[in-house]
Amino acid sequence: MKLIIVILFALFIPALAISQKCSISLSGHVVDADTKDKLHGAVVFIKETGQQLITDEKGNFLFKELCDGNYTLQISHISCDSVEKIITLFKNYHVDIFMPHARRTLGDVVVEAQIGIANTGFKKELSRKDLEETKGLSLAEALSKINGITMLQTGSTISKPVIHGLHSSRILTINNGVRQEGQQWGNEHAPEIDPFIADKLIVIKGVDELKYGSDAIAGVILVEPKPLRSIPGYSAEFNTAYFTNNRQYVMSAVWEQQLKKLSAFRYRIQGTFKKGANAATPGYRLNNTGSEEKNFSITAGWKKEKFNTELFYSQFATRLGIFNGSHIGNLTDLQNAIGSSKPDDVFLGEMTYKIRRPFQEVTHHLIKSKSTFYKGEHKFNVLLSGQFNHRKEFDVVRSSSNTRPQLDLSIFTLSQDISWEPPKRNNFNGVAGLSMMQQDNSYSGRYFIPNYFAYTFGGYFIEKWNKHKWELQAGIRFDNKSINTSRLKFNGDTLNYDFNFSTLASSFNTIYKASDKWRLNLNISMASRAPYVNELLSDGIHHGTATYEKGDISLKPEKSVNISTGINFENTAKTFNFDLLLYANSIRDFIYQQPRPENPVLTIAGAFPLIEYQQTDALLSGFDASASVKPLSNFEWESKLSFLYARNTSIKDWLILMPANRLSNEITYSFKDAKKFSDSYVAVEFLNVMQQKNTPDERNGKQDYKGPPDAYHLLNFNASSAVSMGKTKITIGIGIRNVLNTAYRDYLNTMRYFTDEMGRNISIRVKVPFNYVYH
Amino acid sequence: MKTKRIALGVLMATVLMTSCKKDKPEENDEEVITTMIVKLTPTGGGAVLEYKFDDPDGPGAIAPTIQEIILAPSKTYSAEIILLNKTVSPVDTVSNEVAGEKEAHRFYYEVQAGAIVTVSNLDADANGVPVGLTSTWTTGAVSTGKMQITLRHYPAVPPNKAVADLATSTKSGTDISTVDIGGFTVKVQ
Repeated sequence: MKLIIVILFALFIPALAISQKCSISLSGHVVDADTKDKLHGAVVFIKETGQQLITDEKGNFLFKELCDGNYTLQISHISCDSVEKIITLFKNYHVDIFMPHARRTLGDVVVEAQIGIANTGFKKELSRKDLEETKGLSLAEALSKINGITMLQTGSTISKPVIHGLHSSRILTINNGVRQEGQQWGNEHAPEIDPFIADKLIVIKGVDELKYGSDAIAGVILVEPKPLRSIPGYSAEFNTAYFTNNRQYVMSAVWEQQLKKLSAFRYRIQGTFKKGANAATPGYRLNNTGSEEKNFSITAGWKKEKFNTELFYSQFATRLGIFNGSHIGNLTDLQNAIGSSKPDDVFLGEMTYKIRRPFQEVTHHLIKSKSTFYKGEHKFNVLLSGQFNHRKEFDVVRSSSNTRPQLDLSIFTLSQDISWEPPKRNNFNGVAGLSMMQQDNSYSGRYFIPNYFAYTFGGYFIEKWNKHKWELQAGIRFDNKSINTSRLKFNGDTLNYDFNFSTLASSFNTIYKASDKWRLNLNISMASRAPYVNELLSDGIHHGTATYEKGDISLKPEKSVNISTGINFENTAKTFNFDLLLYANSIRDFIYQQPRPENPVLTIAGAFPLIEYQQTDALLSGFDASASVKPLSNFEWESKLSFLYARNTSIKDWLILMPANRLSNEITYSFKDAKKFSDSYVAVEFLNVMQQKNTPDERNGKQDYKGPPDAYHLLNFNASSAVSMGKTKITIGIGIRNVLNTAYRDYLNTMRYFTDEMGRNISIRVKVPFNYVYH
Repeated sequence: MKTKRIALGVLMATVLMTSCKKDKPEENDEEVITTMIVKLTPTGGGAVLEYKFDDPDGPGAIAPTIQEIILAPSKTYSAEIILLNKTVSPVDTVSNEVAGEKEAHRFYYEVQAGAIVTVSNLDADANGVPVGLTSTWTTGAVSTGKMQITLRHYPAVPPNKAVADLATSTKSGTDISTVDIGGFTVKVQ
């Protein structure tokens, strides 16, 4: 009832305001109190009217048509603490605002002070430049620009992110605030997210991961859209890109509006279409490696001082071709394929967009409602979401008239989250929340995982404290998950198993800002992940790797203790900065696949090696280091180095399929802004990926049929410029990946058994934004 | 209001979760071949012989079994291969599908270790490339040895099947192979 009154009241405010014919304007200027820099992008919010503006490049803002009276201005900026100012208006007025306590952006690591709670711990955000350069590529490809993040691939069409050697169910992907739930356990199941939705791609490890689950052993990926418009008006953006190698074209458009008369209401419509033909390696073109993607989303928001709500719906649909020369009948076939230096000619050379078997078809629907209520200084969030994921895998079949999928998995997920943020007191602020999730998974066709219902209940509490040079944060979370599985076999046998897992996670983080130049960070996170259904109950042939995979119902949750420490340095002139992250992730009862060479599974198609899920203790340690130097104002050299050592400590051996160490060097030359051209640069990147030498000892069972590929070196090129055409600024970018057309294979691509990676790929992208503000 | 909404959400969840679920038996992979029957009809009369390579529960669980082939010396048999999928009801005769897609399939017969049997006269597809669903087996003197039967499937479009292709060609993948189980023991007695 209260809500209805609020809505009715909210509906009347703008109407009243208009009828009074108010005409006072309030202008202002926002600067950094320490550096006196003009602050662009500061959010200025008038509490009483709900109006909100963002400062321009010179730090200016202007509110028009205000009435007489007292107003509370709330000003916030990404690198400052927020400020409140009360003013009395009776004539046109100008106000200068000094924002205290600026915190620097250090390379990729951004410390963000939002109005709510600061996000800290280890945090890496994809830079604006990298985000633009990867437009049209997959989510994992974009994320792999971040130091420490690599990709696990199945050919050129399927890729998923790997954080410090871990992936799949050990990473939580948060799509617009909702925990993405599909069949993320599979190595060839890529995240079902349109990267064009993202305004920010962030990877975090630390207390904030506790908001999303206790199972973020590797970390959390946040896919964050831009907030809805906060200035009445409308805007649009059109992005398009073309890639020469596989003739892939991408089109993405977004339209958003905030109404003039009903400024509390804002909405956005967004859609993407992407289609690629067969990809080519330097020596040959691979048949059936095309892809297609159709996505759209709608967001509608209502924002008032004491209440705001947002409704979001998105649909993702993709069709991914899988190279048909990788179809393997049994182990002997795999060994024969590995033995030949290139695939048979019958699988090569076709230039088409057509996708045939084997292919995957995946759709993902997400509907979400998020509401925020303010009661006094307390803030409450209610997040409800529903997700439906349908994955169909079409194998090579005997009969050409067969149109059915061979693997068909549907998972339906509902979740409810509530959180409470009490007001900040004595430098303390915190958040507590409860969450519930219900899942229903069903399959038809080939068995790989059973039907199941899963119910998760969790609660968390996070407290943050900051004063002067120190920031301390701590949090704890508990989850209970029950899984009821059922499988009715073709012969009438029923196999039903019930599981219940309790998992506890906690995290402690401290930041010490030794001076303006130095910043130190220490994080200890304990996470615990319940085994997934595939780890418990999978039982069948995995055709891609010619193995027979078997789960184990006695698996326990795996528990990790992750200690990481970061050091950042930036000189006063901002011409040099250095960032180092050291980490050690010790995982007890680490779930992995152990080959059982002594027990091959005999089938009518021949023998398949048995691989069983089991547990061991593991230690993944390493470092990510990056440094950037600006010897001249328009010239920058950035170097990134990433090392990982992944040990199976119980048997004193290495873990399989861990990303190789790598070094990237990039030189960027920025041009001075000219009349029509701005933000122009050219960049050249040298990427060196070393050979993975740390692989499991063959004496513990043959784990791989082919050793890791050789080291490779790639040369990449990027250039971009914004061209002013009237009021719009069109950004044009050119990228060349693998300039020298180097033939190479990557250890974390399953297709390395059969083919080389993609050759030279030239891309052109164009961005046309459009913005109109109502007067 | 808030609690109402949550309550509604939970209610919605329970309704949706419990309403539509009935356990249905899994429709097993229609690509599974559980059984290969070698049917041998002696020319000039006599009892029809059938020998099986059989895995009735499909891959996993119980391992497949293979029978011994017993033939009479100096005799000619017309051979036919029948493939079944017993994990579906009614049992699917997979060999009919193979007969419908002859251009993409090929059987190989390899006689090893002393058995005196020759396999000839394999049926061919429209391009004149052997398929081997039917063949003629001719026995010689009393002997014992092995016979390997392999069925290869060509996934490419078009299949590009050629006479010269070996059973280990990278153009095709294995659908059936007796190699890992040790092959059919053939006794000419």
